[in-house]
Amino acid sequence: MKKILQLSIACMIGLAACTDLDIPPMNVIQDKDVFTTEGGIKIYMARCYSELPFEDFRYSPTRGTNHFWIINPTSANTGEALSRDLTSATAEQFNFWERAYPLIREANYFLQTLPEYANNFPEADVNHWLGEARFVRAVTYMALVKRYGGVPIVDKVLNYPEQSIEELKTPRASEEAVYDFIAADLDFAYNNMKETSELGRANKYAAAAFKSRAMLYAGSIAKYNQVQLFDGSQNRLCGIPAAKANTYFKAAHDAAMLLEGKYSLYKKTWAAGDKEAQMQNYINLFFDESSPENILIKGYKYPESVHGYDAYNVPRQLMGGNGYSSEVNPTLNLVELFDGFPKNADGTIMTLDASGKYILYDNLPDIFANAEPRLRATVIVPGDMFKNESIEIWRGIYTSSVAGGISRLLPEGSTAPYPSTNIVSSPNAQQTPYTLPNGDKMNPAGRSGVFTADGTCAVSGFSVRKYLVPDKPTAEVLENRADQTWIEMRYAEVLLNRAEAAYELHLAGQGGNYLQDAFTVINEIRERAGAGLLPSAAALDDITIVRNERRKELAFENKIWWDLKRWRILDKEQNGTVYRTLMPFYAAQAGKWFFDARPDERNARYTFDTRWYYQEIPGGEISKSQNLIQNPGY
Amino acid sequence: MKNSIYHTALFILLLASACTREYDDYPEPSETLAGNILDAASKKNVQSEAGDRGMRLVLEELSWSDTPTPYYFFAMQDGTFRNTKIFKGNYRISVEGPFVPLVQYDGSGNITVDKRKTMDIAGTSNVDFEVEPFLNVEWVGEPVYNSTDQTVSIQVRFTRGTANTGFHQNITDVFLFVSPNTYVGNNNYDNKYSAQVNYNGTDGNAQLGQTITITTKDRLPGKRTWYLRVGARVDYGLKYYNYTDIKPIIIP
Repeated sequence: MKKILQLSIACMIGLAACTDLDIPPMNVIQDKDVFTTEGGIKIYMARCYSELPFEDFRYSPTRGTNHFWIINPTSANTGEALSRDLTSATAEQFNFWERAYPLIREANYFLQTLPEYANNFPEADVNHWLGEARFVRAVTYMALVKRYGGVPIVDKVLNYPEQSIEELKTPRASEEAVYDFIAADLDFAYNNMKETSELGRANKYAAAAFKSRAMLYAGSIAKYNQVQLFDGSQNRLCGIPAAKANTYFKAAHDAAMLLEGKYSLYKKTWAAGDKEAQMQNYINLFFDESSPENILIKGYKYPESVHGYDAYNVPRQLMGGNGYSSEVNPTLNLVELFDGFPKNADGTIMTLDASGKYILYDNLPDIFANAEPRLRATVIVPGDMFKNESIEIWRGIYTSSVAGGISRLLPEGSTAPYPSTNIVSSPNAQQTPYTLPNGDKMNPAGRSGVFTADGTCAVSGFSVRKYLVPDKPTAEVLENRADQTWIEMRYAEVLLNRAEAAYELHLAGQGGNYLQDAFTVINEIRERAGAGLLPSAAALDDITIVRNERRKELAFENKIWWDLKRWRILDKEQNGTVYRTLMPFYAAQAGKWFFDARPDERNARYTFDTRWYYQEIPGGEISKSQNLIQNPGY
Repeated sequence: MKNSIYHTALFILLLASACTREYDDYPEPSETLAGNILDAASKKNVQSEAGDRGMRLVLEELSWSDTPTPYYFFAMQDGTFRNTKIFKGNYRISVEGPFVPLVQYDGSGNITVDKRKTMDIAGTSNVDFEVEPFLNVEWVGEPVYNSTDQTVSIQVRFTRGTANTGFHQNITDVFLFVSPNTYVGNNNYDNKYSAQVNYNGTDGNAQLGQTITITTKDRLPGKRTWYLRVGARVDYGLKYYNYTDIKPIIIP
């Protein structure tokens, strides 16, 4: 009892000794620590950038952004590629909403707090950083609006419990208002930021580049979208009035023009007429840190910040220790967009001669020997060289007689399996060599496929090359071991934005120079790619020419899904669709190769649900804020 | 040891006293809402598919709020609906599906057409909705089995189901769905046998009122019943299909 008394006296003395207990905790970093030094600002921004919703090496539609495991690649959702682990049209399966608003809050907090500490820095720096925070906010809203349509616009820090819950349930704004909000943020950023910035951070031109992207999306929605959803107060949550299309296309074009002369296409090792040099140049473009084409990059560095792009995507024969490989296998549909190989009148690859027999080739890579350098730099074709190895891709050995030529193995368009009577194939990589007529042994399938029962191979007959490090030792081809840089925005995209906006404006009858501008820009891109040029502006007579250029140039950069969605053509492209593949065969009796173009033998069928043009607002978010109206059909 | 027994006892006591046995919940919902979604012209049920690309009811309970979060439930594929677990109250009810929307807006978001129904749901409430489907899809004759190549040929005709030209979009495709069970439609079909005819641009509009013949793909396995149904759709909104009713065919 006496003890308690003593203790309470001690406590009372202790209490009286403190004059003020209401001080901020000393072990938590305060605003005054962050916002008074350049280092503090940098740390704050580093976090914002790391949270930016880029669909990069760490993104997949199933697991979202910043996830290490990307075995469900985006390109297998768009028709660019086939993958073992993503075999049908898929909507995003993660809650992006709850990831976006914390970042918006961080940007708003920065915008609100920095002015209080502005006297610590030169005015130009403060303006640059305010612009940078607006840029971060705009990019985040862009990621929201392209998924959900109109979303709640929150442009200041919300405080609970100072503000009531009712007050904080911000309803959705119209889709148009969100795009206008993004444009205003990016305009502010352009007007206030500096011309240059350190690697990985935005400058004023990055803001302009993102504006060209955002406004192009808005223009496309205005022109092509049909879905409409209104709230009770005449706000159009889904869709933009068609009358606004030209305003947005013009804004996209103007924004893209701001970068002219400031950035350029990467052509450091490019040489006119030299396909080999052009191909190498195109490969280097993705690895040269000093590329004049890079506008905004996301850097990685082993071991602090890593991804696993190589481990998941190398051809099977170069598989690393984790046992992954060949997740991204370009479809023939994509390959046929490029030029430089034999084609039929309808643009499909020519594999048959005039009498309907397969064309025979002496060597496996011959069919693509003169292909467009950009194709070769983007896709590994059968027999192509990679890491000083020939990448062996073939489906089987044809054993029947070749006298009089080889007829089609299956009727055109058939999804049936190949006959097994005259074709030797291999179920997996443990192959039993086949003895050729001359006594040599040969594997029924290439070392990188195609296997009949193991999808870890080039299931489409191709393997991806873009972004794969050309000289990475196989011992380092591991998950969480890759650290190549992701280029989120490069000048080629800005040019393509400009060409598309210009062509749309030309279609809408907006003045005379737009067609010429689109023509010039497309040819700039094609020249660097080593592709055939458009002969004249008049030859640019279809929007699909502009769109296909985009699909080729930006293939495997995780942008195409959003493009197909904003053009509102994905439900027509993926309508019970089986994508095409190219299966090489070795004709044993002839000692030559032939190719069979066919629908994916796995019969992976893609049907895009029209509802996905506007993704489902996560139910949990509506439970939190009942003012949110769900998108149509969910 | 003794201490821990005390502690456990105290803990259990706390747990036990934390909940009272008093019944503090609402009674469970027990009202019934049932009815049909009818074609306004023919007064026949509108055919649809089961699930979330078919037809659904939208219930907004106005007893508590003017802007409630809607409650949805799906109609059955034959155009009937029945839900026996609804709270008693005053509701605004609408249906969504492959027909002219009950609520329409002008370009600036003002409601121009509103055919929703506001009613009390108590006991068993029956309500029918009369709607104008985008397309009427009807069988012409019976499916024919072609024994030579083990396929089935059907004939079908589609016509506009509404006179409202605002909903006369292009017809994009007509689809013969084949399924081994009675739930057949775009949600459930065997793509090995089902056949789709796609139309480009306005090509499909020329087929309006014409008799169209579609044959199944591949060879249908015999000695069983297959269920057939044809869907067609216009390029509007979420592009839901309008359907015929279901016809079984026994393959010998």
